[in-house]
Amino acid sequence: MIEEFEARFGPILEKRTLGEKKVLYTIMARPEDFQNMVRSLLAGQNVRLFTMVGTDERAVEDAFSITYWFADTSKGELLGVRLYVPEDRPVFPSVAQFHRGALWFEREVQDLLGVEAEGLPDRRRLILPDDWPEGVYPLREDFKYSESPPGEKKYPYARPPEGTSVHAIGPYHIALDEPAHFRLFVRGEEIVGVDYRGFYSHRGIEKLARGRLNYNQVCFIAERICGICGFCHSTAYAQAIEEAAGIEVPERAEYIRTLLLELERLHSHLLWVGVAAHLVGFDTAFMEVWRIRERVMWLAERLTGNRKTYGLVVVGGVRRDLLDYRRELVERELDVMKREFNDVVEFLLSSGGFVKRCEGVGVLSKEKARAWDACGPVARASGVDYDVRRDFPYAAYRDLSFEVPVEKEGDVLARATVRIEEVRQSISLIEQILDAMPGGGILADFGDIPEGAEGISAVEAPRGENVHYILAGDRNTIYRWRVKAATYNNLQTVPDMLVGYTIADAPLIIASIDPCYSCTERVQVVDIESGKSKVVRLGVGICR
Amino acid sequence: MTKAYPFEPEEAPPEYRGIPRIDPVLCIGCGACANACPPNAILRIDDPENGTRRIVLDVGRCIRCARCEEVCPTGAVRLTAEFEAATDDRSDHVEVVELRLARCRGCGKYTCYTERQVEKVLSLIPRGILDFDRVREKLPLCSECKLKLTVLNATKFGEVEP
Repeated sequence: MIEEFEARFGPILEKRTLGEKKVLYTIMARPEDFQNMVRSLLAGQNVRLFTMVGTDERAVEDAFSITYWFADTSKGELLGVRLYVPEDRPVFPSVAQFHRGALWFEREVQDLLGVEAEGLPDRRRLILPDDWPEGVYPLREDFKYSESPPGEKKYPYARPPEGTSVHAIGPYHIALDEPAHFRLFVRGEEIVGVDYRGFYSHRGIEKLARGRLNYNQVCFIAERICGICGFCHSTAYAQAIEEAAGIEVPERAEYIRTLLLELERLHSHLLWVGVAAHLVGFDTAFMEVWRIRERVMWLAERLTGNRKTYGLVVVGGVRRDLLDYRRELVERELDVMKREFNDVVEFLLSSGGFVKRCEGVGVLSKEKARAWDACGPVARASGVDYDVRRDFPYAAYRDLSFEVPVEKEGDVLARATVRIEEVRQSISLIEQILDAMPGGGILADFGDIPEGAEGISAVEAPRGENVHYILAGDRNTIYRWRVKAATYNNLQTVPDMLVGYTIADAPLIIASIDPCYSCTERVQVVDIESGKSKVVRLGVGICR
Repeated sequence: MTKAYPFEPEEAPPEYRGIPRIDPVLCIGCGACANACPPNAILRIDDPENGTRRIVLDVGRCIRCARCEEVCPTGAVRLTAEFEAATDDRSDHVEVVELRLARCRGCGKYTCYTERQVEKVLSLIPRGILDFDRVREKLPLCSECKLKLTVLNATKFGEVEP
């Protein structure tokens, strides 16, 4: 990818090398070439839009910067294209016009930075709350992280097509564990269209990191982005910083990180399988799966001090060592788990009810998965052979052997199969880690983080890739931290999955991507102290 | 499998990171914990008028990361095995350690460090290596007086070796 790009556009660009196979190009001369560049990049067979970062660089460059990051999954290359958007006319050509996966990124940058994408197909607000005033952009440097401006409540929901009625799921709904609002346009039982409004659980984490935290505090806040794949987030963040500052993490620390990452995948997939069984009404399997999951949670508590928020990663390594007695605990639990998991899977898949409810439901074709840049089990179930652990190896994955399960059908059952197979792979990975655990220290020594250094890193969370981008500021703080969670991509595919199926299938289809709303939503600024009151009434603005 | 909790006690494993507690006898009020705390659950609040410093720990904000325990120079902050934080009164979550700020030897105003911090520093100085009494004399100085003293010493130095 990098070679071809360089041959075509190289001379007019400024190049910066971040690491091996990681390059960033800055457009200095002609912004109008930008769309062509993105088009030619996305034309590649295995190229996907990795993440997009908008930064307020007015203090240094007198402009906002928009960086699109692309990943070539077959070559393991990362390429960034940066466009500077002038302060007096903050407009850039939209990529979402021809690549749907860029839609949310561009809506987000418009919301938070006030940089507009010209020709954006959907110009509605994405992230900011309905009552946020126009023209106030929280990610700009001149906006304080503790502010909370008053405004008027309004949101332009999509008009339902002729002859349909609206069936609302959420913001609070028994089938959803976190707030999200799906408006299903239904004709009888059949879903013919979907409008999504989410981002109800923003916590302003990116702004907090800029306003109040130092780089090592961010590890612990990053872990709280998600209640399930928190460790993936803190690892991805730490890796990005380590890359920016050139820190060599001790091998033992990398192995311990990998062990916990796999442990997290185990409990997350078990949770999902349980929820799926519950949603089709097969509660015996749900209880059984969660009983096994409890073993993983218990193990995590013995290894790290907490069931879920491990709090183990700091920049440069980990905080707790894998002592001999902990190793024995892992071995003992894995033995039991392997046996029990096989039994429960057999039990689950032998149930006609479960299989029939999942088979041929919520089909996502490979083309659509690629168009939305889906990732993780959702993409793999639709035939996209992509796994960050294999294609962009980090931590100890270089030394370990594992298979990446891929299915073709793209239905709920395929997603379940992929996850079940991944659980088996994870168990085998943990066994390999225990065998190959190297000795030595667990925390690296390092100096200051150089100002202006950039790092980008991805971790394969249970749901897909979590991408963290970092731009270091002065005095060991962070200038820009961009988090892209796996659900950010996967959630955009849900409307496509829902159309054509019935209302009864909707909860299972939504759950089949294993949505994590907290992960996806990070940037709203809420201040309890300022006394700004918000009245939340159920049902307001849902159906008219 | 169902347990009678909360009517029967549930014990956390030894590795568990539970609710932190500050030992008011060991705490010197340096505020290292407040600097390290990611969610600002520990605050260091100075009252230069009355000469007190309060270290305020709000368990309601705490995320149990144990950074405070790691950075505490005296071992005053320790994480307990307690995990039950439910209460009907928010003030139950708040723990306050109040310490005296040291008075400046020069101008008599309160400095930005506590008496206990001074004691701690003095206890760290190896006897016989440094002129202990001179250090003792200088130590509780406010930043302004310290600055003046530095300037004064610099000028003296200049007179001896031009």
